[in-house]
Amino acid sequence: MKYITAYTLWLVVFFVIPLIIILSFSFLEKTPYGGVNFSFSLEGYKSLLTIGYLRILWRTVWISIISTFITIIFALPTAYYIAKSKFKNFLLLLVVIPFWTNSLIRIYAWIFVLGNNGIINQFLKLIGLVDSHIQFLYNPWAVILVIVYTYLPYAIIPLYAAIERLDNSIFEAALDLGCSKRKAFFKVLIPNIKAGLVASIIFVLIPAMGSYAIPDLVGGVNSKMIGNEIARQLTTAKNWPAASAISSILTLITLLGVIIFVKSSKKEVLN
Amino acid sequence: MLGSSVEIRNVDKFFGDFQALDKVNLQIKRGEFFSLLGPSGCGKTTLLRIIAGLEYPDSGDVLFDGISVVSIPANKREANTIFQNYALFPHLTVFENIAFSLRLKKMSENEIREKVEKLINLVRLEGQENKKPIQLSGGQRQRVAIARALANEPKVLLLDEPVSALDAKLRQELLLELDNLHDQVGITFIYVTHDQAEAISVSDHVAVMNNGRIVQIGTPYEIYESPADRFVATFIGETNLMKAEVVDVNDEFIRVIAKGLGEFSCYKDKEVSKGDKILLTLRPEKIKISTKPLEGINSFHGVVEEEIYMGYQTKYFVRLDEGYILKIYKQHVNYLLDEKIIHWKDEVFVTWNPNDSFIVEVEKG
Amino acid sequence: MNPGKFSRLITFLILIFFYIPIFVVIMFSFNASKSPVWVGFSFMWYKELFTSSYTIWKAFLNSIIVAISASFVATVLGTLGAIGLYWGKFKGKDYIWIISYLPLIIPDIIIGVSLLIFFVFIKMKLSLLTIFIAHVTFSLPYALMIVFSRLQDFEYSIIEAAYDLGATEEIALFKVIVPISFPGILAAFFMSLTLSIDDFVITFFVAGPGSTTLPLKIYSMIRFGISPTINAISTLMLVGTIVMSIFMRKYLRYIF
Repeated sequence: MKYITAYTLWLVVFFVIPLIIILSFSFLEKTPYGGVNFSFSLEGYKSLLTIGYLRILWRTVWISIISTFITIIFALPTAYYIAKSKFKNFLLLLVVIPFWTNSLIRIYAWIFVLGNNGIINQFLKLIGLVDSHIQFLYNPWAVILVIVYTYLPYAIIPLYAAIERLDNSIFEAALDLGCSKRKAFFKVLIPNIKAGLVASIIFVLIPAMGSYAIPDLVGGVNSKMIGNEIARQLTTAKNWPAASAISSILTLITLLGVIIFVKSSKKEVLN
Repeated sequence: MLGSSVEIRNVDKFFGDFQALDKVNLQIKRGEFFSLLGPSGCGKTTLLRIIAGLEYPDSGDVLFDGISVVSIPANKREANTIFQNYALFPHLTVFENIAFSLRLKKMSENEIREKVEKLINLVRLEGQENKKPIQLSGGQRQRVAIARALANEPKVLLLDEPVSALDAKLRQELLLELDNLHDQVGITFIYVTHDQAEAISVSDHVAVMNNGRIVQIGTPYEIYESPADRFVATFIGETNLMKAEVVDVNDEFIRVIAKGLGEFSCYKDKEVSKGDKILLTLRPEKIKISTKPLEGINSFHGVVEEEIYMGYQTKYFVRLDEGYILKIYKQHVNYLLDEKIIHWKDEVFVTWNPNDSFIVEVEKG
Repeated sequence: MNPGKFSRLITFLILIFFYIPIFVVIMFSFNASKSPVWVGFSFMWYKELFTSSYTIWKAFLNSIIVAISASFVATVLGTLGAIGLYWGKFKGKDYIWIISYLPLIIPDIIIGVSLLIFFVFIKMKLSLLTIFIAHVTFSLPYALMIVFSRLQDFEYSIIEAAYDLGATEEIALFKVIVPISFPGILAAFFMSLTLSIDDFVITFFVAGPGSTTLPLKIYSMIRFGISPTINAISTLMLVGTIVMSIFMRKYLRYIF
């Protein structure tokens, strides 16, 4: 017990208490220059019930879901191929390197390639195809592209681990029993790597929901997400109750999502 | 080295609501090879851990040489354990594993070297000193575990299913080695196993456990030949259990009627009277089987329902005329010279000596 | 079942997708021009990075100070925590798992915002110290889980064996548990190091004036527009990452 005291205490003081503080602050009155008045108020939440906010919330949800979907679609065959490959250690290393690479550098790489002054636009200008530039970035699809790019390794790794653990003979048995390869994929592989699939989806969906840097750097005014709004409320708008309220809602959504997701997938495994 | 006697007095142990040990009493003599035998979950490992000091009894006492050791923690108790998975330290070499307790005693380097070498010779691990546990075979690991436990010069060596992780052949070999080792070091061995063959082959005494209780203590011979109850009779070896009613009693023998068998005689090893309902056990190897009629008091006729050839013997299931299915082992003594090899569907005669059946349960009529 | 042509094609496309932007960035760090049109090979941006980029090196130093100190503390506390969780018999282990998993699940921005409000609330000046606290906080659960997963490779009886052979608690801890979990401890340290050096979002909220870390510096440079200096930093950081990934491959299994 004594060994875990410092660990627990640290997380309680610097993680649990701050969460409780923002939850409490979301029900308090704002003061004009940041900070709160200690009297109960629902203003923080009421200010969220505007068309603008609902739009940002909705955009956050759909961008995250589409990004996750695309990521998983590409991660599955890749993880499968790597798990069965003769060079799996080397291929895994190729996936792990971007995983360890600084996320800002990965965002920068896309700005460098696709930006208004990026190499593609410079090239197009050079060969005279465009006068000034084509705007590839600063829209929701650019945000999705970079989210997929950033979180693909996070999705591939748990899927790879799940597939690698599987006994190859279950596929042989399926094929032996007259299953086509395509059917074996859906009827044998997918049900047996459910835990890995759930982990992959969580690893992509949750950080996507909380994206800040990606929409900030490659999104335009029409592609701001909840994370950007939290930062705006906190820094420029100086509305702490509103920032706390959005944070509390985002926390709640992610927690509920994870709980429902993990529970439902557990149930299916048990059934 | 000299062993301790070990005494367990009225030990109870609960895990939550589950009672793992229920008023356990045991006396183990100095230098004995004693086995705790029972199915998994019977409490045998818990009892061993209580003797080791790794678990504390909720009530009762544990005594070494008549002195209570309950308050002595595992690291001070003069008992060492060989764990089921050996629990070797993976980061240490064979030498350092064995030297672990010696280093804690702050012995000099020379003393340690001398002592470890002696132990390595004892368990025949010469040349393996600098290997790590992962480089050893299962049998070698077990030997390291033994040497490591003996290094501390314990008075009691506790062995928790030490051969169960090995394959059958190796198991026999190492069991024999353990037996020899016991003779050499002379300390008390307490051996936990679920394998009745292991227990009866090496032990001086065996305690059979079930559901947290000790159901029988005795020599391997006693345990096998005269089981105390139905559980012991069925757990140790195979047997034929027969429900019967006593119809006549004299000084030494009784006459019984059993459903599916008919009337026959048995040895009166328990006090019974006419009208009692009893349960009898009869070992399959005690029964004679032949295609020709056999002399004997308990003679029956039947048909072979099933025949399982096992190399050194054949196992027959014989359905008697009245319906009871009797399990019989026939040893292949001069197999090919036998009058006639009995096969499936053959009509046979069976007989057994009334002295070979035992009463395991009595229900007063 | 051998993978088909389809999954092989996807894998190669994905690897190309992963590396093309990175290679382009590396290539143009050696370009002899400020605009992203290839002119010729040159080390000029590295020269600039090494000779006249004081603020970048200051930020780098800050990052290193925070990373090493935070990783050290997170590894020590996380290791002790993992040992306690593995070794100890006490009620409430489930709660410890919950508060360990939550920081991994909750988006970074929430951790950043809540810590910022917490620091302001307790009137703590934002500085390298607040960054250090934040980095220990998000590294701790990783450190615990990595060391715990290493400990799980061993059965509990190994500790009992140490006791049985006469070891006291301290001896069992330092002679058995710490040595056997050492690869895990090392992996936990490197994981914390990587997380710390990489973190932008949480640091962004808890950093104060004068406590800019390398990712914060890179962020402000990116906002300013593309520049070959960023390409040069990126290249150096990538080299660092690759060296570290190769070095850490041995310990990766404790991380995933």
